[in-house]
Amino acid sequence: MADVTNNSYQPGTSPAGASSGMSWGEWLDRHSRTFFITPAVTLILIFAIFPTFYSIVFALSRVRFTADGLQFRFVGLQNFAKQFFGNDQVHFLGKTEGIGVLGWVFFGAVTAAVLWWLYRSLRITSPVGMLGRLISAAMAIFIAWIMGASLLAGSTIGTLLTTLFYVFVGCALQFVIGTGLAFLCSQPIAGKNFFRVIFFIPLMVTPLGVGYAMKMVADITKGPFEPLLRGFGIENWVWSADPWAARFVMMICDSWQWIPFIFICMLAALENVPRDHVEAAQVDGASSVQIFREITWPQIVPVAVTVLLIRTIEAFKIVDLPNIMTGGGPGSSTESMTLHSLYIWRSNDIGTSAAVAYLLLILTVVVCASFFNYVVLGQLRKARA
Amino acid sequence: MSEAPFKFEKANRGLMERLFEPPAVGRMSPVANVVAYFLLAVWSIFVLFPLYWVVITSFKDAAAVNQGPFYIPFVDFVPNLNAWRAQFTEDANCNLSSIGRQFGLLVYNAFAFIVSPVVTLQPMEPQICKIFLAFTNSIVVSAASTALCVAIGSMAAYALVRVQYKPKFGNIMMFVALTVLVIAATTYTRAPWWASSAVALALFFFLARALGKHFTRTLGNGDILFWIISQRILPPIVVIIPIYVMFQAVGLLDTHLALITVYAVANLPIVVWLMYDFFSSLPIELEESAQLDGATRFGIFWDIVLPLTRPGLAATTLLTLILSWNEYLFAVFLATAKVQTMPIMVAAKNAGEKGVFWWEMCAIIVVMIIPVIIMAVFLQRFIAKGVLLGAVKG
Amino acid sequence: MASGKAGVPVSFDKIQKSFGPVRVLEELNLQVEPGEFLVLLGASGSGKTTALRILSGLETASAGRVLIGGRDVTDILPKYRDISMVFQSYALYPHKTVAENIGFPLKVRKVPQAEQEVQIRDAAAQVQLGELLHRYPRELSGGQRQRVALARAIIRRPSVFLMDEPLSNLDAKLRGHMRAELKHMQEKFGITTIYVTHDQIEAMTLARRVAILERGVLQQLATPAEIYNNPANLFVAQFIGSPPMNVVQGALDGKAFMSNGAAIATSVGGRIAKAVLGVRPEDCSVVAPAKGAIKGEIYATELIGDHTLVTLKAGNDMLTVKAAKDFTAKLGEKAGVAFSTDRLFVFDECNGLRVR
Ligand SMILES: Nc1ncnc2c1ncn2[C@@H]1O[C@H](COP(=O)(O)OP(=O)(O)OP(=O)(O)O)[C@@H](O)[C@H]1O
Ligand SMILES: [Mg+2]
Repeated sequence: MADVTNNSYQPGTSPAGASSGMSWGEWLDRHSRTFFITPAVTLILIFAIFPTFYSIVFALSRVRFTADGLQFRFVGLQNFAKQFFGNDQVHFLGKTEGIGVLGWVFFGAVTAAVLWWLYRSLRITSPVGMLGRLISAAMAIFIAWIMGASLLAGSTIGTLLTTLFYVFVGCALQFVIGTGLAFLCSQPIAGKNFFRVIFFIPLMVTPLGVGYAMKMVADITKGPFEPLLRGFGIENWVWSADPWAARFVMMICDSWQWIPFIFICMLAALENVPRDHVEAAQVDGASSVQIFREITWPQIVPVAVTVLLIRTIEAFKIVDLPNIMTGGGPGSSTESMTLHSLYIWRSNDIGTSAAVAYLLLILTVVVCASFFNYVVLGQLRKARA
Repeated sequence: MSEAPFKFEKANRGLMERLFEPPAVGRMSPVANVVAYFLLAVWSIFVLFPLYWVVITSFKDAAAVNQGPFYIPFVDFVPNLNAWRAQFTEDANCNLSSIGRQFGLLVYNAFAFIVSPVVTLQPMEPQICKIFLAFTNSIVVSAASTALCVAIGSMAAYALVRVQYKPKFGNIMMFVALTVLVIAATTYTRAPWWASSAVALALFFFLARALGKHFTRTLGNGDILFWIISQRILPPIVVIIPIYVMFQAVGLLDTHLALITVYAVANLPIVVWLMYDFFSSLPIELEESAQLDGATRFGIFWDIVLPLTRPGLAATTLLTLILSWNEYLFAVFLATAKVQTMPIMVAAKNAGEKGVFWWEMCAIIVVMIIPVIIMAVFLQRFIAKGVLLGAVKG
Repeated sequence: MASGKAGVPVSFDKIQKSFGPVRVLEELNLQVEPGEFLVLLGASGSGKTTALRILSGLETASAGRVLIGGRDVTDILPKYRDISMVFQSYALYPHKTVAENIGFPLKVRKVPQAEQEVQIRDAAAQVQLGELLHRYPRELSGGQRQRVALARAIIRRPSVFLMDEPLSNLDAKLRGHMRAELKHMQEKFGITTIYVTHDQIEAMTLARRVAILERGVLQQLATPAEIYNNPANLFVAQFIGSPPMNVVQGALDGKAFMSNGAAIATSVGGRIAKAVLGVRPEDCSVVAPAKGAIKGEIYATELIGDHTLVTLKAGNDMLTVKAAKDFTAKLGEKAGVAFSTDRLFVFDECNGLRVR
């Protein structure tokens, strides 16, 4: 018995008595709370936090590889300014010379809506919350202006809008199709396990493989659709020479890979809705549409917004597909910001490359944090309250 | 009360009702059935066709690829194994003895890594066929990084569930300030990185001791969890340039170790997120009773907690494995020659001067995706459950 | 609120149900009369819920027909059957408030908002939930949730009410009140009601007729008094009554029941090698060993309140006797048990059937 008491877990033991006879194992156990979390935190500090800060130095410098290491020359915000006002402007923001009537209307509408939203949130948020909302609002207005000036004026758009196109249009499309497929597979259908496995496969294929596979499939001279295109008499049309067609092809190929993710998550959510809820509604005389709208959908909304958030976060990182399928072309019209940064790195302009990467980080964080704070959090709170 | 027209008699139902109403609960109406199967079939084709195309292309030769599309093996083109032979048998170095040597070296290096202060690592077999080199590299990197990531991640997740941490806000700010100082010092004063980091680390521990008690604002476990998970937001391109420079500074570029650590960190948020939910669904009583029996925390974690979360652990492991197996961007930067992984090898086939050897590339892609597709079949339920759990609990 | 469609007959016609190899209902024939309050009573797993689900259309029978109001509804969707149901699991919608939950059947019928509110308040008052209307189900106790489920069912006046253990989670006082409320409502509107329970008190007090189900087989369908006084078989006899009926193994030999060498006179005749004698505890009395039909020794006494339960051990059988509340005896003391001949039941042990 005495032994047991000696070894047992005693949080209150005074260190004075223990220090002399304390064994290695006991010392480890005593500090286990530190050892459990230290490796993870250390790794993240070294390989995520430190590089993030270090990246600022790159972004603020002109960097050269020399025989004895890197040489930094501090240039202030020049690398960033280049993206907005300088020689990289068209690449990053697009051509923004003439903003048309449509552009002004759009810009005005978005600005008004955002300001109204800010005014309304004045009453309900703390000063810190208000600061966050101001940042979100500023970014929304800025993006609206860029859209008005380039996209809606009919001129070239830059990698910023291309990335946002992949993220927003892509995620929306993926969400709608993924949820639709999940809904189909949650119905009483024979062989749904078969479909479930088939639909899941693309997620597992390396994005690189997807790129090459799609490049072959979408090839207009030797690809499988060549006879079809010829049949329509459009064999001379080259999707990879048309900016918007190329972007849409990118987005569809990206969706091919990512719809499965939304599909399995939403399917799991749908199957998680208790069966007796649906049955109770059936007995009460609700139609299928009513059951979906009133019973099923409200219960899967928290999962839906979370899945959408995860997907959005990952969507900002798109790089492999345009890199492989079009090399960013025609021109730079399918370049995502990651690819933009990668290409600048290849041309040895490391400082500018880091600046573009940093802009991507800011964009991602603001968009995702806004979505998380204003949408996801609210839904999760409602579900758990 | 409201008297809806109750359609009691089945015979009285109109054509539309017969078509659009399910015959019974748990069945589908005829129209819905047709529409559903049509959509599912269309989507199955959409999903499978590119994969089918890759597989048949790997059995084509240059002529079959270049002379217009051919769809069905044996019917409109004659399949052959040229692409596969080019990868595996025509390469003079693809013989059993060099593969055996390669394996021997792998084992030796795994051992040597543990005792690396004493023994030096041997370089990998230089005379080995490319595909085998890439395949082993991919396996070594993804397996090791997964093991590292899951071990570290689940430990952290477990601790976040069971232990209350209260990091001081002031200390964190101090750490950040010192980090910035180290960066500034190494960049602009050309101080050696190890010296400045050592000084800063010592300074940090000293200051944390000295000033720590004056800081009152603390953060909680929720903040730490959020901080770890939110690292996933970080676009790889932001950190890869500094990481490249860091590995260059310590001479670890183009080594397995570099890829292993970076992959592990990249997947750490996912592991922590998923495992946190698995751990927090465990009842605490088991661990408490083990604690009363005198088990150590590591003992409890190893003997009781991990076995209980085995399904979750398996799913997380497989997911991490697949993510590392498919990773491309980090490898482009960090694996310049010796440790090229499968994705790099695939991409390299794009850059031949005689045009792209699609058939060979497809063969490699097939080799690459067969293992993951097999896993996918087993994995999909797990992943859905895990992600769902995470989503609902936030 | 007219009870225009009140009093609809319901019947199960040779209903069979199996889940894979498991047979849950075997040829269930059950006629529920118009406006009747029928209680389905049975042990856990006897198929009560399954029977209700088949009637509501949520489950398809493997064979047989279901008739509501004389019409075959076997292949009709639940929403056309005009029934309302209280689920054993409550099936409350977690994202709707109590009021929205209760009002859901009206909402899907597009009843005007104002009328909905009035009826929601009425229904909530009936189950004493008036002050909780704005809560969410997760903020309610088990009993409160159950009452929400009940209110959601009674807000409509359907052809048939189906209630699957609607009061199982309430405390004794509330349960008594709700029983009265339900009975009153049912009689007032005359809506055919099928009520599932495994609580025999509830069955006895509420039902006009009780149907006893065991392993998917209907054992007896009769009024509560009939079931108590005239059980059709050994199962029913033992299932109904608390404490349960005493049984003694033995043989029926002409006019007497032979057990452990003692002959007990019965009102039935016949010869059965393996028979069971049943007698309710209140029909027995503890007497001196010499006078008892069965002899044994006192095993335990429990004071229940207005009476004492005395357990005697006679051979391998245990007999429970309801005695006066001032009954005292030492444990192990020899005693006899006497019973009145006309209150004895004899059952055939092989098939459990009553010997009459
Ligand atoms: N979906 C199903 N699949 C397989 N077996 C089932 C299913 N539903 C019910 N059963 C089985 O049918 C039998 C009867 O179930 P039922 O739910 O009708 O019992 P019950 O009388 O309502 O019991 P309780 O009083 O516990 O609610 C049980 O043995 C049960 O295991
Ligand atoms: Mg039941």
